[in-house]
Amino acid sequence: MEVISMIVNDEFGVMQRVMGEFTRKKINVETIVVGKCEIVGKARIVLSVKERRQAEQAVERLERLQDVVQVEIVDETRHEGYALVANSFGKARLIGSLEEVGGLIDTTKPDRFIKTVNAL
Amino acid sequence: MRGSEILINVLRDEGVDVVFGYPGGAMLPLYDDLRSSDVRHVLVRHEQCAAHMADGFARVLKRPGVCMATSGAGATNLVTGIATAFLDSSPVIALTGQVPTGNIGNDAFQEADIFSLMIPITKHNFRIMNPANLSNDLRSAFSIAASGRYGPVQVDLPRDILTCDISSPIEPRKVSTNGMREDITELPQAIQLLESAERPLILVGGGAMWSGCGQDVITLAEMIASPVATTLMGKSTVPENHPLVLGMVGMHGRRVANYALEECDALLAVGTRFSDRMIGDPSSCRTRVIHIDIDTGELGKNVRPTVALSGDAGLVIRAISSSIHARRNDGKWTERMGILKKECACNLDLGDNPIKPQKVIYELSRLLPDDAIVTTEVGQCQMFAAHFFECRGKRQFITPGGLGTMGFGLPAAIGAKVAAPQRSVVDVAGDGSLLMVCQELATAVEEDIPVFVCLLNNGRLGMIKQLQNMFYGGRMTAMDLGSSPDFVKLAEAFGVRAARVKDPKDLESVIEEGMASDRPFLADIWIDREEEVLPVTLRTESGTQVIAGNCAWKGVC
Repeated sequence: MEVISMIVNDEFGVMQRVMGEFTRKKINVETIVVGKCEIVGKARIVLSVKERRQAEQAVERLERLQDVVQVEIVDETRHEGYALVANSFGKARLIGSLEEVGGLIDTTKPDRFIKTVNAL
Repeated sequence: MRGSEILINVLRDEGVDVVFGYPGGAMLPLYDDLRSSDVRHVLVRHEQCAAHMADGFARVLKRPGVCMATSGAGATNLVTGIATAFLDSSPVIALTGQVPTGNIGNDAFQEADIFSLMIPITKHNFRIMNPANLSNDLRSAFSIAASGRYGPVQVDLPRDILTCDISSPIEPRKVSTNGMREDITELPQAIQLLESAERPLILVGGGAMWSGCGQDVITLAEMIASPVATTLMGKSTVPENHPLVLGMVGMHGRRVANYALEECDALLAVGTRFSDRMIGDPSSCRTRVIHIDIDTGELGKNVRPTVALSGDAGLVIRAISSSIHARRNDGKWTERMGILKKECACNLDLGDNPIKPQKVIYELSRLLPDDAIVTTEVGQCQMFAAHFFECRGKRQFITPGGLGTMGFGLPAAIGAKVAAPQRSVVDVAGDGSLLMVCQELATAVEEDIPVFVCLLNNGRLGMIKQLQNMFYGGRMTAMDLGSSPDFVKLAEAFGVRAARVKDPKDLESVIEEGMASDRPFLADIWIDREEEVLPVTLRTESGTQVIAGNCAWKGVC
């Protein structure tokens, strides 16, 4: 798993531009988190792809976008797992390393879940 | 001040004195103010051609060309032209009308989501939703288009933005935006590699053309006694009559240039992206590569360089020249290339009847002035011109290399002629391509833009026929265009002077008439229908195959 983090202009159309670059390079985005960040008028996107080469290709292309202020491949030590899980007993939030979150989901086998990667 | 007035003021301030466009409901506020401005508006007959004209204009002057179209269908018609400019890194500004901000997304009359449509084929684009952003975004459009690696920028203009009163002052001119990252830290390695090379080759591409660094390349080539080859997009960057210049490489390139590419032990690639038509299979490139590009994303995209330098081509070449010492050189390599170049120079002064297309290009090479501009359509006509036309002196070669857009040549020639009215501008056309855009003959006549269309007419889609002949077992289909239209009558119907040429002896006088004409002129030259563009060089991982056909190559390799 490779994680790309970027700061982008917080405007309409920016996600379309960013995702367009993945489409062009035939790269599937595994997970994505987008939200407001510490800089006014900017947003942070954290997304993951399967392979290193894909991440490098994507970064090369993202660097060309006018709306991308900063982009980097995040070191593995900074990856964080995050999941929402649900079964008949109710809902729960799982936070931890990717392995921990993955392991918990594997052992508890929730009816429904969504799992993503975040990083700072 | 109204939005449209602000827009025109920014255009004037950016040095824009001509725009190519076609009006429509959403753009009428702008046209109303354009009327009283001193910006020349060239009224095209199809919006696609407005984009090609702005592109041709930009390629001559190396500064932004501006086209405009109305919302909906007008804007979607620009798409082909903008995609062409994008692939050839041409700084075109596309101003598109849009329905009023309140109607966007409601499927209003003549509404298309042109903002989304343009995203993948522009360097950047804007949709002005807030009047206060108008002048700032327009300024940014110009600085983005003509900084770093050039490229088209679109600005979507909702009708109410053009009509509303804007009090905010016009932004000052922007110098540059995020530009390129210059990185020449590997310069010593590049120099070491070149100095130790026994068989260097400099390969110049479109980046060198945009940088205008032909003279810098020649200076370096002479210093290190290196032959120089060009890509299709690099053609005319360096004078092809210079003894070190070998001509174009690639699938339809010259054999001497392709042999040099094959045999060199150090390749200095300047502003080229190693496209498939140039390098074939990238794995066929086994030599050590020094890659210079203004766009870091190109370094290693197709061919992994040994040394990568990012920055403006001219700047980096001059940096190399100022630090390099003469190469260890026994003269064998340049001597061999000199011999091969002579062997590659076949006789094109062919008297055959029907006329050989090579003979037409030969006559153009011989007769056009040294500052002529040649544009091309796409297909056989383009490759005959690219392979055989000699770009010497200040001649410029303009072709839609990346997108291969049929119908590019005529409007690009019109744009080029507007940019350089004192230079001869010739469109080397095929009948298939020309018919896609022949309505622009009306633009040339009405706007008094005397371009010369040199039509290689074989009544068919020659490149399709050639490909079907070579790679589809000779099974021809959908390639015969028949004898319609009569291009002389067609031209005359538009008010264009025209002459038909069926005898090679008449070529000289007709070409001279076309060049001297103060009105648009079309030479309908009936060429040999069976002639193919040869040789064809196919580079694959396992080796290089040359389909020579009647190529008169005498050398042994």
